[in-house]
Order: sequence, then C-alpha cells, then structure tokens
Amino acid sequence: MAERCAVVGVGQTNHSSCRADVSIAGLVREAVDRALADAGITIQDVDAVVIGKAPDSLEGVAMPELWLADALAAHGKPVFRVHTAGSVGGSTAIVAAQHVMAGIHGTVLTIGFEKQSDGNAMWALSVPIPFGMPVHAGAGGYFSPIVRGYITRSGAPSHIGAMVAVKDRTNACKNPYAHLHEPDWTLEKALETPMLWDPIRFIETCPSSDGAMALVLMSEERAEKMSGPKAWVHATAMRSEPTAFAGREQVSPRAGEMCAEDLWRKGGITKPAEEIDVVEMYVPFAWFEPMWLENLGFAPRNEGWRWVEDGVTEMTGSLPVNPSGGVLSSNPIGASGMIRFGEACMQVMGTAGEHQIDGAKKAVGHAYGGGSQFFAMWLVSSLKP
Amino acid sequence: MSGASIGSLHGDSFVAPLEVAYPYSRTVGTALSRFFTSLKEGRLEGTKGSDGRVYFPPAEFDPQTGEQLTEWVTLPETGHVVTWAWQSTPAPDQPLDRPFAWALIALDGADVPLLHAVDAGSIDAMSTGMAVKVRWAAERGNGITDIACFEPVSDVPGGRS
Repeated sequence: MAERCAVVGVGQTNHSSCRADVSIAGLVREAVDRALADAGITIQDVDAVVIGKAPDSLEGVAMPELWLADALAAHGKPVFRVHTAGSVGGSTAIVAAQHVMAGIHGTVLTIGFEKQSDGNAMWALSVPIPFGMPVHAGAGGYFSPIVRGYITRSGAPSHIGAMVAVKDRTNACKNPYAHLHEPDWTLEKALETPMLWDPIRFIETCPSSDGAMALVLMSEERAEKMSGPKAWVHATAMRSEPTAFAGREQVSPRAGEMCAEDLWRKGGITKPAEEIDVVEMYVPFAWFEPMWLENLGFAPRNEGWRWVEDGVTEMTGSLPVNPSGGVLSSNPIGASGMIRFGEACMQVMGTAGEHQIDGAKKAVGHAYGGGSQFFAMWLVSSLKP
Repeated sequence: MSGASIGSLHGDSFVAPLEVAYPYSRTVGTALSRFFTSLKEGRLEGTKGSDGRVYFPPAEFDPQTGEQLTEWVTLPETGHVVTWAWQSTPAPDQPLDRPFAWALIALDGADVPLLHAVDAGSIDAMSTGMAVKVRWAAERGNGITDIACFEPVSDVPGGRS
C-alpha cells in the first residue's frame, strides 16, 4: 500500500526568451525559492532533490546536476537526475512523487528547467545520423507529417490549429509567468501568419523559452501539518514506445493511450471528460490539442477537432485545456512538462489567479517527449484519494 | 551540414566519423558577472559566506545554507600556495609557454583557494606555503585569464617561502 503524497508548494520563474539576468543556477533558484515560499518551508527542510531537464545538448552543459547541487543546498542529501526528453518535467515530478509514495522521503523538492537562450534547440535536436538522409527539419519538421495525418484521417478543417493557438495565447495573458503576452490575436489574423512546416503555421508553434518550475511534495503525515492548500496525487502513469517501427500509429501513439488508460484506472476515473475539471496538456504545436484529446480518451476518435471548434476546451468550456496558455505560450523544454503538472496542482489548490477554473477539484497534468514516444501524466485533486 | 566523410569499413562493420558542434552562450548570473567585471577593472572580489568564510572565486550560493551570497570582499593581489604540481612540458593554450606550476592559491583574506598557474621558472623555486602575487594580463575582459598567472614574491614580510 503506497503512502499518500501531496504537492504543498508550486513555484515557477517568469519565463522569457532570454533570462540574461540569471545563471542556470539562478534561474533554478528563482523557481525553487518561490515553491519553498509557497509551501512555507526552507530549503533545509528538504530531504531529497529530483532534477530533470531536456538533452544536455540544448545548453551545452553536461551533467548540470553537478553544478546545481550546491545551488540547491543539496549537500548531504540525495540528488537524482531524470531524463526522458520533452516529457522529462512530467516524469521528474513522478519520480519525486514515487519517493514519497514509497515512504523513503517525507519532503522532496523537484525541479524542471531549461535555459534555451544559451543554445539552439532546433539544431541541438537535429544531430546528423551517419548513413541516414540529412533532413535537419527540427521538431516542426518531424511533427508536421503527423499533423497532416491527423487532418486527413479526421477530416478536420484547416483552421482548427489556429483556433487552439488563439485560445492559448489569449489564456496566457491571464498568466503573469507566461513567456508570451499577446492579447490581440483573432482567428483571422492567426490564419494570416506564415506557414512554417505545412500544415503548421507560425502562430501554431511554441516559443523558445528560459524557465524553471519547482514543486514541493510531502507525505500525508507532513502535509497535514501544513496550513496551505494542497494538491493530492491520486495517480501517476508513464509509458514509452520506440520512435520508429513498421505500422506505428504516430497520430495516436499506443503508449499515450496506455498511459491515459493506466491513469484513469488508478485514479478511479471512468468518464474522463465528465470527471476531470481542467487539463494542462503538452501542446507544443496547436494541432496536438485535438490529437491528444482523442489519444487520452477524452474525445471519441476523429472528434477532438469538433470539441475545439465548439469551445469545449476554452476556459469557459466544459473541459478547459491549458488555461495557463500552455506550451504554446511558454516552452522551456525541460520545465514544460513540470509546468503542466504544477499548473494542474495550482488549479486544484485554487492558487491559479486570473486563469483559475472556479471550483476545480480534479486536474490532469500531461507531458510527452521524444518522437511522441514518452508519455507522463498525473491526476491531482483538492480531495484526498 | 557536412557530407564529406562517409565512413570506412572495419572488418564487416562500417564506422562513420561524427563531429557535432554548435555555438553556445553562457549567462553567468549576477555573482560571476560582478567577478568578471571586477577582474577586467583590476580588482579581486570574493563573496563572504554565512559562516564568515571568504570565497575567491566567489560562490553564488552559500555552501552552508544555500542562500544567495550578496556580501562582497575586495582582496589583495597577494597570497600563498596551498599545494602545487609541476607542468614540465606545457601544452598548447595553457597559461604559459614554458614550464610552470599548477597551484591552488589562497589569496590573503580568502578561505578557499583557486586553481591558477605560477611562473616560477624552475621546479626548485616552488614550495608549499610560498608567497605569490597576481600578474595581470595585458589585455583584460576575458574572464579568469585576466589574471595571466601568479609569480613568486621572495621578500614579502611574513611570507612563508
């Protein structure tokens, strides 16, 4: 029987294209200090630290955990590094939760970060492969044929991606930590932005950001002594699959479906779209919102785009998706998954401020990474499991 | 991207050269920004920890408490060798083009040493505890190499050589 675990502190940086004012250590500490303040504890109260970031090639710092150990006052404590590409922020939070659920540590600090201005993610993720054809198209080039596959299969009209983008950019204006604050988007203007990787337009792509997210997790015994709001972890799930194999379903990867099925089973959820109040979903390219709505079991196959068109995923809809503005408004890659997980916590803690969904009791954080091959999710609630 | 090298056959296996190179930048934060700026201006500045210890080069976060360090101390150009090793054949891009010592040097007033080069001329001139002083680089603004090296001080009062 696993121990109960609650998130008692959430802290993130002010994300932007270049945080020239801080080192990587300073960036991480900004999020950590806010999470500790939110929890009402000091860094001395932490038993273990779990760090995650995307590939080291993004900043060119190999093993940043060596450098960060002292910036996190981790001397004399265990430090763990987690690595699952773009989903790492989610899987890192899950590893932290598992340390608590296993009864090993009572208070765990976890951080996801990326300082993308120190490098160039587009090229760092396009390493040439000996004897392979050199495409060098970056993430957008990798995902655009998959988006095209979704459009062909589902019959979605071409403006759905732009609708998602306008929603997320508008939501981000209510989030003081978001990288992009662009209040004046309309669908008409969005459809006029340049086509970058057909069918993905400029507005339908995430920015490149510097940022970090930190969470403080506690055992039930410790969390109950804290007076502030809590997000109880009801379920966590992770699944993986190879990047490429014959017959692979890339539009709706099997690992993503399995991850969601596992989460719903562990969390006792039978009708996700009805029982979940808000979702923070990993959507770096706008079309992934309808694709993941289907992959995670919220919407029926080929119906996800209709939900977008009908406003279901707006903040005023029945299943708000990414009230924070999502990855489309802030993407420090190694932090982005944990920002989803942390924003889900903020919703059930009632601390999301202007982008709060009133009365949210059950929220889902979701992250994916690699070539849609790593999936991480958690279900959090204001109520104990 | 290059396509010049296509690899070669080693027995039954192809082996391909793969050189990966990207340009990066490094944002060093407030503490090291002040450190590098002060070096450029010919000053040696360290940070003071919560336990009173002085760190040179400066620590950004207190090794004892983890708090950001904000108290600065200006240090003299003199110090002593804590320990050392002789580099009899300098490699390209090392601080000196003649035999020299790598040394851990504690500046007077600093509680932790930094790694730098000592231009002692010969191994016989090196000893643990010997007094040294900074030799500044002719051109500055390049970080830690604004200190070209350290050189022995034979007649410093209180020197330990």
